[in-house]
Amino acid sequence: MFNLRKSMALTLPLGEASDQDKWDNGGLERKRQLLIEIVLRSRLTALMVDGDTTCWVLKQELLRSYGVQTLGVDNGRDAIDLIASDAAFNLIIIEKILPVLNGLEVTRQICEIGMRCKMLAVTAYSGESERQAFLATSVDVFIEKPLDLEHLVPILRELDRQ
Amino acid sequence: MESKHVNQQIAAMRQSFFDEEVLDEFFSQLEQLEDQNNPNFVEEVFTMYFRDSTTLLETVEQAMKTISITLAKMDKILHQLKGSSASVGANKVLNEINKTRQVLEKGNLEGTKAGIWEMRKKYGSLKAKLEPYFQLKQANSVPQEK
Repeated sequence: MFNLRKSMALTLPLGEASDQDKWDNGGLERKRQLLIEIVLRSRLTALMVDGDTTCWVLKQELLRSYGVQTLGVDNGRDAIDLIASDAAFNLIIIEKILPVLNGLEVTRQICEIGMRCKMLAVTAYSGESERQAFLATSVDVFIEKPLDLEHLVPILRELDRQ
Repeated sequence: MESKHVNQQIAAMRQSFFDEEVLDEFFSQLEQLEDQNNPNFVEEVFTMYFRDSTTLLETVEQAMKTISITLAKMDKILHQLKGSSASVGANKVLNEINKTRQVLEKGNLEGTKAGIWEMRKKYGSLKAKLEPYFQLKQANSVPQEK
């Protein structure tokens, strides 16, 4: 059996990252050479909301490879509770099909709470109506799974500049 | 020399996955997330993927035996399967899922059952190809005694 890693880090410091902090270990240096290379000056934080373990782990690892601190929840209710408890994120990535509350409803409630951050809908895509429904809820970007570097890197650069 | 031969074998197996369109470029993205601190990341992800997909397929197959299953509920499961398959680069599986969803959209339950059966075959084929590949990679990564 293999060890399946899930990040449940709850400390989400924001602000400037030191040179040491930017790269957790030498492994990230190798990743930087292979992935699209960017250097983030700030420590960004992201909340992932996805009920599927495989997708969750992949997105987490991709974000962490760029030094983004991630927190994940696997249902809509936990996402709302987290936001309502004043947890702050630079980025929220949300899937449509979720246990308890679906992604569209979660997005609406996050907006009602008044949370302001970049929101990406990253879903398996069920048609144009799904895209339109998400964009109508104030999601900034709609991406058909999987989350790819061509979409992610410009978003991280933009957040880093803010 | 032996290690070089095994490396060539691994590379050839990997290339065949792309040539046969069993996997797409997102598998490469996955591989880029693997490093010396996490050398088995790709294999771990596929272990999760096959485990969870098997459960979902069994759920939808069981559900199709009941009268109460709704097309919406089945589509939810297929949506989830589509997301994970796209995320690991499982190209042929993904194509089969998309075909099955189109059939389901038209309300064709028998056609959907046939589609799910095809999906099962594609999963099985993918697993059969990847398992020896990962085993060879693992065996080759074990330091050889001098």
